[in-house]
Amino acid sequence: MTSVNQPLPKHALDDEYPTKTSALQRETEDILQAHVAQGAPTLDRSAHLQFLIRNLVQGFPARYISQDASQPWLMYWTLQSFSVLQVAVDPVNKQRAIDTIMAWQHPDGGFAGGSGQAAHLLPTYASICSLAIVGRPGPGGGWDQIDREKLYKLFMSLKQPDGSFIVSEHGEVDVRGIYCLLVSAYLVDILTPELIEDTAAFIASCQTYEGGFASASHPYYAAQEDKNTPLQCISSPRPNLGEAHGGYTYCALAAWVLLKPFLPEEGAPSIDVKRLLRWAVNMQGSETEVGGFRGRTNKLIDGCYSWWGGGEFALLEALGVSGHREHAPLRPQHEAGPTEEWVGSDDSVFNRDAMQRFILLTAQHPAGGLRDKPPKHPDAYHTLYCLAGLSVAQHRVTQSPARRSELRSAWTPKPEIKYDMVRKTAFTEALCWSEEEGSSIIIGPASNRVNASHPLFNLTMTHSEGIMAHFYKQTLPKRFVRAPPKVA
Amino acid sequence: MPVQSEDYVPFAQRPEWADVVPVPQYDGVQPLAPIFYTPEYKDATDYFRGIVKTGEMSERVLVLTEEVIRMNPAHYSAWQYRYRTLLAINASLKDELEFTKGLAIAHLKTYQVWHHRRLLLAATNDPADELRFLESVLNVDVKNYHTWSYRQWVLAHFDREEMWAGEVDYVDRLLEEDLRNNSAWHHRFFITFQRAGKDTREDVVKRELVFAKQKIALAPNNMSAWNYLRGVLDYSHTPYASQEDFVRPYTGTQVPLSFDSDVIDVENPLPSEGSRLPAVPAIEFLADIYEVEGKEGVDEAIPLWKSLAEEHDTIRKKYWEYRIHEAVTAA
Repeated sequence: MTSVNQPLPKHALDDEYPTKTSALQRETEDILQAHVAQGAPTLDRSAHLQFLIRNLVQGFPARYISQDASQPWLMYWTLQSFSVLQVAVDPVNKQRAIDTIMAWQHPDGGFAGGSGQAAHLLPTYASICSLAIVGRPGPGGGWDQIDREKLYKLFMSLKQPDGSFIVSEHGEVDVRGIYCLLVSAYLVDILTPELIEDTAAFIASCQTYEGGFASASHPYYAAQEDKNTPLQCISSPRPNLGEAHGGYTYCALAAWVLLKPFLPEEGAPSIDVKRLLRWAVNMQGSETEVGGFRGRTNKLIDGCYSWWGGGEFALLEALGVSGHREHAPLRPQHEAGPTEEWVGSDDSVFNRDAMQRFILLTAQHPAGGLRDKPPKHPDAYHTLYCLAGLSVAQHRVTQSPARRSELRSAWTPKPEIKYDMVRKTAFTEALCWSEEEGSSIIIGPASNRVNASHPLFNLTMTHSEGIMAHFYKQTLPKRFVRAPPKVA
Repeated sequence: MPVQSEDYVPFAQRPEWADVVPVPQYDGVQPLAPIFYTPEYKDATDYFRGIVKTGEMSERVLVLTEEVIRMNPAHYSAWQYRYRTLLAINASLKDELEFTKGLAIAHLKTYQVWHHRRLLLAATNDPADELRFLESVLNVDVKNYHTWSYRQWVLAHFDREEMWAGEVDYVDRLLEEDLRNNSAWHHRFFITFQRAGKDTREDVVKRELVFAKQKIALAPNNMSAWNYLRGVLDYSHTPYASQEDFVRPYTGTQVPLSFDSDVIDVENPLPSEGSRLPAVPAIEFLADIYEVEGKEGVDEAIPLWKSLAEEHDTIRKKYWEYRIHEAVTAA
């Protein structure tokens, strides 16, 4: 291959064969590049906080009626944005948040999109995660008012013969619902082998030829011998419903990582990690798109995929995909000046620097809040997923074998509980994620630093630990600072 | 949200609703992060909660849920309650399918409109016109995820020969219009390789390989076509090395001149004029061919990966370095 030093192109290559897709791509690239030329890579913390406070305390304008069935999400996006920005909510508003969330609990179990609505897996995740942030044990604290027995019954009632779950009574099946169910079950300690039977096989069946995951697959069942035999899902074909997609892939992959400790040693379903990785890295836009992430092949980048797409790499590390550590001497972080860009050793397989630049330079709205891309308006959803994306690009959070064994040794068994070993596994696997000291990369001034987020839950490590220690009735061993492994 | 017409009458002022007690959303709670509802929406949802509370299933519930859905098509509880009511009062599901056509087009990106249709269509078991309707919807938004996954459900669920029959032509047309439409590529894979009870014959695999390569020749940097090519090879367990002759011209820096333009090799179409070469997916593909050939192959793959890391695909530098590291470790 001859190497000619050409300047980077301004546009993705259309091979002089323009189509609707490439025309839209060009337009978008022009807008993005114009924005990059104007701004500085500084996180406008105070503008975003004002945006969040306005939403939380004053409320959302009438156009959010379209999200009236997603009120727990509006709450979660707002509260978790505060957490990523390292801001805690005051006690009075915390209590109001708890009371609001508990009004969404359905009398028959689970949480609904609003008071008086039907229970649904998605708002259940958002409500429980919100309670992880603002709740506490005891009367009025939310945690002990979650009806876990009814929640478990609801989950079992939504289970389908192919291992999937419908999101609500008469609702649809998709991997988002399964992700939300698994996180909820992990956090409040209601995971059982019955609940997750065949679910991993369903997740695996959603992987497409591109490597990413679709929303769902379609089951075919073997003919029943009689009406009493349970339906048997045929292993092939299980056609994908929809193409590989960043949001579904995050959910499917996180679900896979949550299910993996419980896979049988023999005959377990499998996913193609190599193909998944190839697809995942290709979702990152090139320099012409400032390194943001897209959700599907040949679609436009969107700030929210900073989390869905960027977040996949921490999960892939749990499946053994770890980047190559450069043989460069480590430089302590304090040597970097306040505006100097600091480049440390980087084990990631995606471009963490570029994604931070994308978020800082294009996804911030000048009036506060974050967005899909310019010239769009900010909203609660994009604000969280851009900030959480910034977090995964800054921090490298991985499962630490050292932390895992600390948690295992500190485990207090409860032999009277039927599935105590399942509980122990769930607890230790979920909480062994740790940030390696000195592995963060902050583009722009040091004040750009945001909190690390748990790659499976999208809660801070502290909030994940707090709620799980409560429900599993465990005392967490103290966290010791993890020194970076020796560089060869 | 559509603006209510001036003659919209709130449920609180409709005499036929006088017997229903509206239920406010929050009782004794001053909610945090509230939504500022319009009076019409608040009114309709208060009555909806009232109905849910009493468990009424009647004709007027259809009127009420329609109003709620028109103001907020993502109100899954209103859809769910509507569906249960339709069944309870034995309403015509065919009429309901007709009624939701407009809603589907108006609210393409809403999960609920599509799922409701799916419930109805499964119950009526009459999908005859559905694919045509979906084509009109895809004309509005040709990459709509819900519409595509729904179309795929319709095909897989009913599994009727006459429905599958037109799909290849449909996808051909879509890819003719825009060969970067990845939804259409995925649909092509779905109809060709994921249909139940159909073993994909060797000639179909060959046809699909040729199809993908023809599209690559037109625009060699189009990842959708390369992903499809890889998908077909993986599906049929065909070694990537079988495509080496095809791929090689795409890794050069110039569009090669065909020696004899009268002879067109359909198996190995050359890059079209205007192609930007070398094409990243081609370099990647060639390296993949080499990688499986053992240590010597890896030695040949490394400079290709390096060229991607340092020159042609610099945003993915870390990934290409990872590939080198993995290959060297394994070799």
